[in-house]
Amino acid sequence: MTPADRKEELIRRIAVALRGRDGANPAPAFKEDREGTSGEADRIARFREMLESEGGNYLAGPSLDPMLPALGEALRLSGVAALFFPPGDDGARLVAETLVPFGPFTLVSLDEVRRPFAPPSAGIQTAEFAIAETGTIVQTGREGKTLLPGLLADVHVALLSPAVFVDRMEECLDALSGDPPRNISFITGPSRTGDIEQTIVIGAHGPKKLIAVLLP
Amino acid sequence: MEPLSRFFHRRSEKALADAPLQASIARATGKFLGARAEAVAAFPGFEAARDEGSRIKRETLDRLDVHLARFIAEAEKRGAVVHVARDGAEACEIAARVAKEEGVALAVKSKSMLAEEIGLNEALQSAGVDVVEADLGEYLVQLAGEPPSHILAPAVHMARERVARLFEKKLGEPYTDRIPDLIGIARRRLREKFLAAGMGITGANFLCADTGSVVLVTNEGNGRMGTILPRVHLVVAGIEKVIPRLADLPVLLRLLTRSATGQSISSYVSVLTGGRRPEDPEGPERLHVILVDNGRTGILQGKYRDILKCIRCGACLNVCPVYQSVGGHAYGWVYSGPMGSVLTPLFAGLAEGAPLANASTLCGACADVCPVKIPLPELLLELRADEREQGLKDPAEVLGMKGYAALMGRAGILEALERFIGVISQVLFKDGKTPWLPFRFSGWTDRRDFPAPSPQPFRKLWKKQRGIHP
Repeated sequence: MTPADRKEELIRRIAVALRGRDGANPAPAFKEDREGTSGEADRIARFREMLESEGGNYLAGPSLDPMLPALGEALRLSGVAALFFPPGDDGARLVAETLVPFGPFTLVSLDEVRRPFAPPSAGIQTAEFAIAETGTIVQTGREGKTLLPGLLADVHVALLSPAVFVDRMEECLDALSGDPPRNISFITGPSRTGDIEQTIVIGAHGPKKLIAVLLP
Repeated sequence: MEPLSRFFHRRSEKALADAPLQASIARATGKFLGARAEAVAAFPGFEAARDEGSRIKRETLDRLDVHLARFIAEAEKRGAVVHVARDGAEACEIAARVAKEEGVALAVKSKSMLAEEIGLNEALQSAGVDVVEADLGEYLVQLAGEPPSHILAPAVHMARERVARLFEKKLGEPYTDRIPDLIGIARRRLREKFLAAGMGITGANFLCADTGSVVLVTNEGNGRMGTILPRVHLVVAGIEKVIPRLADLPVLLRLLTRSATGQSISSYVSVLTGGRRPEDPEGPERLHVILVDNGRTGILQGKYRDILKCIRCGACLNVCPVYQSVGGHAYGWVYSGPMGSVLTPLFAGLAEGAPLANASTLCGACADVCPVKIPLPELLLELRADEREQGLKDPAEVLGMKGYAALMGRAGILEALERFIGVISQVLFKDGKTPWLPFRFSGWTDRRDFPAPSPQPFRKLWKKQRGIHP
């Protein structure tokens, strides 16, 4: 049997299994019970509340400069020595470069971060969406974007602008489902595990800290 | 994994006598239940979401041929390589072939119940592929050479001291029983594997038919590591994992994470579609998806279709008084708790799995918490009926039940018998307890107090209470 035949045979087998059963009920129309969408300020406030309840950190200010000392200190306290950002992400590059003296930190490339025994790093990246319902950051592989800042870094710094906030995951999927990128990652708080005695420990495989930075 | 469910009673007795195990199970199920209850209370739309989730899953199963064909077409259109396997052996064969063709020597694997069901690790290992479990709990049970004991927390039965000794012995790490340090050791060890592995193996929480996407939900981030870093991603998924639309995902996620761990969402949800594209800077060069039947079309055909709605949240395990008492290993196979008591007889046969279907008080707690409203107690009853119809019940039990039914149908004889026993009991049974019953009934008196028969028959008491005088 060719692979195509095997697939057809599986589908046929399922169709036979379903035949004559109470299976063929026409499904009722899909209904959505969306809550009304809210204003921007409310979305941001709910996002922050949910993010913090999931162990994430939140920083906001009138501009980047006044936030740098606090961000630098948070990274230093997390043991961060190096910063990296995706090529082409100008916002992240600006933050990384102006942040260097606050460590001091060194700037490293994505390739260096991928090596075993890479220095403890913060990955800085502009987020594509922020979901108020769950305090979730969304990063995708759209248009050749990398996902490494939210993956290999010890601290993930997600840069947000007011325009990226949505109420619910549905809105985000609507925007992406036409031609979904290879990877859509919904990230909520730091990596965690409860696998030993159901005690929650932060930093299982992914970043140990997630800092969402809202820039005007 | 060879099923041992026919030994459920013996295994339960062992589990009941194991004090550390009892403490671990109580701690885990208690924490999961508390977290779930809080999360459900904080989400007023939970009941509506249950209705919706149940409808989506049932609708999908009712037209699974259409949805699965669409998933295959869409996934292939976007560059995934889709394989189908009639049974576990075939799935393992395909997985081993993929690993060989892709030149993979080391694979990192995220938790997958299906992989346990089909014995994927053993198969790949005997094909020369080193498979490292990357979910922390699975890593622990793999190091210990044990099967997982809870679908969410595979190492639920291991206390920290055991983990510490395990790391000392198997990894040569200095002894520490500080949990964050233990996690740190595993993080370091597994990070090396993630960076070196040629293939990431995962299951799928959902497969979206309209986009051909694979959805993975994890808290640790192992699912993300294994699907971004290695050059090949291999998915093994049961055919029932399909949902019609990517748009159906949010409601099912709201149900899954609240029911599982009490979170409004897990730390990481990945929606993975197709293979690497020319503009992608990273990610697997190829995505292989093995769709596994392994008895599922048989279940689809019959009266047990609803069990295929299961989204593997584990809520029914945590709430079940039987699971709470004996833990996962007593069930003798991959799936435990109420969902396992339905799935095991269906997958492994009634002769093997019927003891699980019978080990339930039918209290209904599982059906109350099931996020997709699977009528678990009804399915357990159906299985018992099937056991009887297939002639697998103990003939003495069948005879006893027949006698009981006949007696219940004859009011006069029943009442006379009740009066007779009532009189005798006042003479023989002291302290209001039945001291012992003969073999076959001795389970009622050996380890618990069985009340003495009432001196007055129930029917008489009933009439009296209702003010009916004969």
